[in-house]
Amino acid sequence: MRRFRAGRAATHLVLGTGVVISFFPFYWMVVMATNTTADIYRYPPKLTPGSHLLDNIHRLLDSIDFFGSMFNTVIVACTTTVLVLFIDSLAAFTFAKYRFPGRNFLFAALLALYMLPTQLAILPQFIIASDLGLAGTLRALLIPPIANAFGIFWMRQYITSAVPDELIDAAKVDGAGFLRQYWQIAIPAIRPGLAFLGIYVFVAAWNDYIWPLIVLVNPDRITLQLALAQLNTAHGTDFSMVMAGTLLAIVPLVVIFAFFARNFIADATKGAVRE
Amino acid sequence: MRRTGIVSYWRQYLAISPFFLVFVGFNLIPVFFTLYLAFQRWDGLGDMQFAGLDQFKFLIHDPTFWLSVRNTIIIWVLGTFPMLFVALIIAVMLNAGVRFTPFYRIAYFLPNVTSLVAVALFFFAIFSSSNGLVNAVLHLLHLPQVQWLQNPFAIKVVIALLMSWQWTGYNAIIYLAGLQTIPSQLYEAAQLDGAGPVRMFRHITVPLLRPIILFTLIVSTVTGLQSFTEPQVLFGSTASVNPNSGGPGQAGLTMMLYFYHQAFDNNDYGYGAAIVWALFLLILLFVVINWRLVARSERRGTR
Amino acid sequence: MELSRRRLLQAGLLAAAGGVTAACGGSKSSGSGSGSGSKDIALWYWAGGLSDKVVADSVTHFTAQGTIKPSVIGGDFKQKLTTTLAAGRSLPAITGIKGEDIAALLPQAKQFVDLNTLGADKLQSQYLTWKWKQGSTQDGKLIGFPIDIGPTGLFYRADLFEKAGLPSKPEDVAKQIVTWDDWFEAGKQLHGKVPKSFPVNTVQSILSAAIGQNTVRFIDTNNKFVGDQDHIRKAWDTALKPLQLGIDAKINDNSWNAAIAGGTVAAEVGAAWHGLDISSAGPDTKGKWRVAPTPSGPANIGGSFLAIPAKGDNHDLAFQVISWLLNADNQARGFTDASLFPSMPAAYKLPALTGGDPFFGGQVTIDVFGPAAEKIPIAYEAPADAAVAAPYYNEIIKVETGKDANQAWNDAVSQAKQIAAKQGVN
Repeated sequence: MRRFRAGRAATHLVLGTGVVISFFPFYWMVVMATNTTADIYRYPPKLTPGSHLLDNIHRLLDSIDFFGSMFNTVIVACTTTVLVLFIDSLAAFTFAKYRFPGRNFLFAALLALYMLPTQLAILPQFIIASDLGLAGTLRALLIPPIANAFGIFWMRQYITSAVPDELIDAAKVDGAGFLRQYWQIAIPAIRPGLAFLGIYVFVAAWNDYIWPLIVLVNPDRITLQLALAQLNTAHGTDFSMVMAGTLLAIVPLVVIFAFFARNFIADATKGAVRE
Repeated sequence: MRRTGIVSYWRQYLAISPFFLVFVGFNLIPVFFTLYLAFQRWDGLGDMQFAGLDQFKFLIHDPTFWLSVRNTIIIWVLGTFPMLFVALIIAVMLNAGVRFTPFYRIAYFLPNVTSLVAVALFFFAIFSSSNGLVNAVLHLLHLPQVQWLQNPFAIKVVIALLMSWQWTGYNAIIYLAGLQTIPSQLYEAAQLDGAGPVRMFRHITVPLLRPIILFTLIVSTVTGLQSFTEPQVLFGSTASVNPNSGGPGQAGLTMMLYFYHQAFDNNDYGYGAAIVWALFLLILLFVVINWRLVARSERRGTR
Repeated sequence: MELSRRRLLQAGLLAAAGGVTAACGGSKSSGSGSGSGSKDIALWYWAGGLSDKVVADSVTHFTAQGTIKPSVIGGDFKQKLTTTLAAGRSLPAITGIKGEDIAALLPQAKQFVDLNTLGADKLQSQYLTWKWKQGSTQDGKLIGFPIDIGPTGLFYRADLFEKAGLPSKPEDVAKQIVTWDDWFEAGKQLHGKVPKSFPVNTVQSILSAAIGQNTVRFIDTNNKFVGDQDHIRKAWDTALKPLQLGIDAKINDNSWNAAIAGGTVAAEVGAAWHGLDISSAGPDTKGKWRVAPTPSGPANIGGSFLAIPAKGDNHDLAFQVISWLLNADNQARGFTDASLFPSMPAAYKLPALTGGDPFFGGQVTIDVFGPAAEKIPIAYEAPADAAVAAPYYNEIIKVETGKDANQAWNDAVSQAKQIAAKQGVN
């Protein structure tokens, strides 16, 4: 690998710049969130964090029910994750390890339809959700993630290699039925895969914007992203307050991500490279 | 051997049914329903009226629609190609066996899990014409100030930068994984033949990475052309005169935003459906073009 | 790592179980009582649409009869309302409707209760006639009960006027600034002497006022498109004059708050309720603002309504709440709390309105808004009006960012014609 003899130093410089670009917004968000709006407007700009974080958070909580919306988001994201993991792993397991009439056709159809951009369906999704009486409810947020085929594809690929056929055959010999095979053989074997998909779904649910924007109305029942967006009014923005909000909104995910990062990144690339 | 027939597989069908029911009901059927809607006139409250091709005729003559098409494409180009190129360079550098690779990976992946709304608000703050950090830095460097959120082109640049910041790291890491599957013997053999780094890059790295480049290109196309959150959050939606119009000069009006505006602000479901189908066709077109461009050379390639 | 993932899964399952229950329970409530006999009245409005204090008082006032549950809905109120109407469920008992949206909602009168059937007709004489009409359908059904009206005025920074050598007392300003041209002349003088400050924030606000000064808008009573006629063209040209004279601050992004606070914008042409926007944006400029009559005559911008969705609950109690919220005393309080100019002439004489406003240096602003309210030209607003007007506002901003004015006019007119045709206008 001596392709870039031009210097380890140069390489680190470029990569380091990239890291700075990645991290800088977070740092700057902290700076803006801990100073006053007047400080932010100053020229030359103040470069260090200040001591006004609590003030800003105070104003934030006056403007919107921030922690209420965060609580809603946590509930929705957790519920979504568990539902998707269960439904997708069950279906993927079936596709991966069992032959049944129509299996190939169904899977091929899924593949073909997977390419459709999600936004194409959003208008009728709203109409259907309304007809089912789910408009304005948090439950409506659970449905589109389940309808997403990515989890099935990824999980099926994963299960095919992660769950050895011998294990399943052995279990069959022992008299285990379909459900027991799933629960006692497959699930333990695919734990890392579940972790990856779980994080992926959780993050997507946490960050989802357009669907909650369309479906949710009542301020008691909005998600974090909506609450954040509502801080930006037509006339002007109290920047320090808004940045306090964005900071608080981002922190939970960053923490979760840092905790699971290694596996998550490794598994993310598996899906891409195998294509 | 199928004495009991299809019914014996009931467990399997049951296992896949939750997913399929939701998928068909909430994905497949809506897609066709959108197509059906595009031929109707409906405001969501009253009755549906059959409108034939009226919505599409209006679409073709609607200058705002074509503006949204131009905006969408320009933003996509600005936000995808430089980003993928930089991602590739970063991946190549990471692959050169520098230390701290796991740290770099985490650092680069982080923007991708950050909420787009939060990042949009952040960009809104720093690109503000009078008080933003970016203009302050430009001032310090004695460079001219830019009206980032008022100049039509600058607006697109800001949105493209938003997209790039979020996706560069993700794509770099995917490229890195791909690079690591290329056997080093190939490079060593080439070096023995006297090839320099650029030649090796062009003739070994790029061809072998082609499927992955295609993958990232297609993903970027599909997501990039559907840009919605960035302009919607950047330009606020509480303006009483014209909500969701994409900012000054409608420079940030992407097709998705225009769809949202027509469907949910103007309650013109039929027209919204027509717009979103036009977007789908555009995405399809670009995916096919990308495929052709990248995969075509494969047939002529060395392998 | 193994163990922690299992724990995560278990925790996740528990959370999911809790989540499904919470989500189920959370979505049930919406205004329908839980059967204990108490009536729930959900009230939806936007920030500044009603005085929060008055709303809070209504909760205590009606405790015996029911539980009022106010919600301040953020984001795009109209979109949320029409979304919920389309859903047909979870509708509030009372909803606000913004003035700029009422015309488009009148054709959907079926979605709302005709307030006359609940006794509104007995109150009709107490409210301004034209406002009452604005909230009614052509066949006389009252859909929207008047909250406030939006007579315009010229808000200005008296201290900056003085600095520029202009008269600073409202009466003197009114004498000097009678027409738009007078105003632009004065504005030139202001900007010349105080270069940091501009008299006009954006051409859009001038356009809005100028259009409102006519008796015809974009569609006439015969459902014919008239957006290409002289009256609109004149308003367009008037709005562009500040840009041509270099006195336009071009605030077409979200930096308006900062501009008000910092003195970049020295004057605003806006409705009475706009005073709340100004005082929220620049609390430190308190005492420095005054109001004078609008150049070339007043217009009406905004001014909202309360309505009762047909699929909401407890119509009778809801109407009682509405008529209480909008009686003379509470309308007066709405003025002091939220700059909501009353739609009820009886309120004009109340002390809340005749006392001075500290934000305006003690000026009795009703001296300006009162006569303005009487002189507002009444124009027919077709349901398609807002959609047809949109291209004009979009295009005029493009002129501000460099487009050729004539090209923008032509584009605005042709787009407006297309939209009009699409909406069924001739």
